[in-house]
Amino acid sequence: MSFNPLEQRGIPLDRQVRNWRELNVEPIDPDRCDPYTRCRVITMNGIEVEAILFSHQLARHTADPEIKRQLARVRYIEAQQQKVVNWLLPGVSSVLETTIAYEQVAVDLTAWVARMEPDPYLQQAYQFGVLEDFDHLYRYANLYEMIEHRKAESIVDNLTEVMPGRPTRFHHRDAYDNVRDPYDRHAVNPLSKLHALTIMSAEQQTMNFYMNTGPTYMEPIARQLYQEIGLIEEEHVTHYESLVDPGETWWEQLVNHEYNECYLYYSFMEQESDPKVKAIWELHLNMELEHLRVACDLMRRHDGREPQEVLAPELPNVLTFEPNKQYLRELLATQMDLTTLGAGYVREAHERFEKMQEQIHGGEAPPSDRVMAGHDEMFGREYRVQSEGEHPDPAMREK
Amino acid sequence: MSDIHTPQAGDDRAPDVDVVALLMRQHGDIRNLFDEVEQSSGEERRDAFRRLVRLLAVHETAEEEVVHPFARRALPGGEGVVKDRLAEEKEAKESLAALDGTDTDDPQFLPRLRELRTAVQEHARAEERYEFSHIRRHADVTTLASMARAVKAAEAVAPTHPHPGVESAAANLALGPVAALMDRTKDVVRKAMGKG
Repeated sequence: MSFNPLEQRGIPLDRQVRNWRELNVEPIDPDRCDPYTRCRVITMNGIEVEAILFSHQLARHTADPEIKRQLARVRYIEAQQQKVVNWLLPGVSSVLETTIAYEQVAVDLTAWVARMEPDPYLQQAYQFGVLEDFDHLYRYANLYEMIEHRKAESIVDNLTEVMPGRPTRFHHRDAYDNVRDPYDRHAVNPLSKLHALTIMSAEQQTMNFYMNTGPTYMEPIARQLYQEIGLIEEEHVTHYESLVDPGETWWEQLVNHEYNECYLYYSFMEQESDPKVKAIWELHLNMELEHLRVACDLMRRHDGREPQEVLAPELPNVLTFEPNKQYLRELLATQMDLTTLGAGYVREAHERFEKMQEQIHGGEAPPSDRVMAGHDEMFGREYRVQSEGEHPDPAMREK
Repeated sequence: MSDIHTPQAGDDRAPDVDVVALLMRQHGDIRNLFDEVEQSSGEERRDAFRRLVRLLAVHETAEEEVVHPFARRALPGGEGVVKDRLAEEKEAKESLAALDGTDTDDPQFLPRLRELRTAVQEHARAEERYEFSHIRRHADVTTLASMARAVKAAEAVAPTHPHPGVESAAANLALGPVAALMDRTKDVVRKAMGKG
């Protein structure tokens, strides 16, 4: 691939502000869109939300008012980008439908990143996490059929299977065991930095979404399930953010953020099936190229270093939304019973894990189990989509 | 699509003590029938479309007779909320009328069906957000349950899904008698609500 964002010219910043008419995008069709178009929308919303929040944190650690103003200018454009991207989601979708789409993102984005990740320790972190998102998809899918009498396959469209992953009740670990070791910024493959930032941003937005929309439900089981899975998203953000080398300077992190946005908009532009959405990815790429140039200037000025020292010489292979069914089945067959211990992984329940399990469950079934019991009461079966055959783990087959 | 079948509201084992939960599941049933119509052809599509029209007729009539009157009476600003819903229902009925008389194999059928689907779906979500949420806030459990019984009584007027043995009779119920069906539904609902 020959696309190098450092050598491209973007749209000048003072021509990036959009008016109301340009911000008023037409949403995608919930019943007929490509599910992976919706996944790309949700991913880029997570990326833009992270860009905004990161820029705010940076501004709060910046004394120079001129730099604060420079950050504010770019951040306002990013806020417009976030509005355009997330407003592609249709108003007729229920929170639960958007939730199922969020979990499809978590499954197929994390699985793809795990497949492509060159560093084995980082790869293990993604493999570990994806089996939990996979189980969340299954729990929400069952809740969805209970409340709306609809099947999750009308959203995920058989691109992603729906069946148990690592059971949600086991995701509640002592917070001590949620912190991983970071990669070494000098030694790591530049692609690994992009992966970590992407997955961290996606999980962070999922955490934000559940913590705010969960209480809009009136059904007790829905409220409780969002509370439970919302807490696991907090664990996931802790898990993924700890992979990033904290020794990166603020300016280096800013450059990485902007570079990653270029990478993702470029990737999605290359594969987008909806022409109107593709035009947005292309426009945003051309905006990001300028944001990257601004960030690179800031890094040169404040760190006295060239951004090329920390970035890849060219964009890596495009990040792709595609089915990962066989890969997930391999993980289901081999990694279901893992938990974390310190910065690593073990197969046995250890003392700290057991204690946390006792504390949080308080001797009762968690919402993620009760939703299945409630579903069984209503339908006398589970909801699953096992397009590739029986569950690879015999213990997880439907009784 | 998998071969898992989601039973219609009333045929699952939900206790149906909450009219809002029941109607929300019916909204899903209606969407499932739209899928069935879109994905089938020939006689199968004709049959699925008949069932869709019947379910729409019964569902909307039950809402007009049971839910909207309560909302009008009991919700602050209920009059306005119901007025907006009725305007949406009118739009949906107009889309339905445009479909009426179109053969299900006609090339115009699917584009018109999609218009109807959009109108119905927007109406259903608006009900859930602007009407049902307030009903749950203002109705006590007894009222929620008695309204649920009335909606279920309406469903019994015209089976909207295949029942063994009544298939051929149901199949005769084409688009023509929809107005009559709505009238019969009204009578049954009023009886169930004790206003017969």
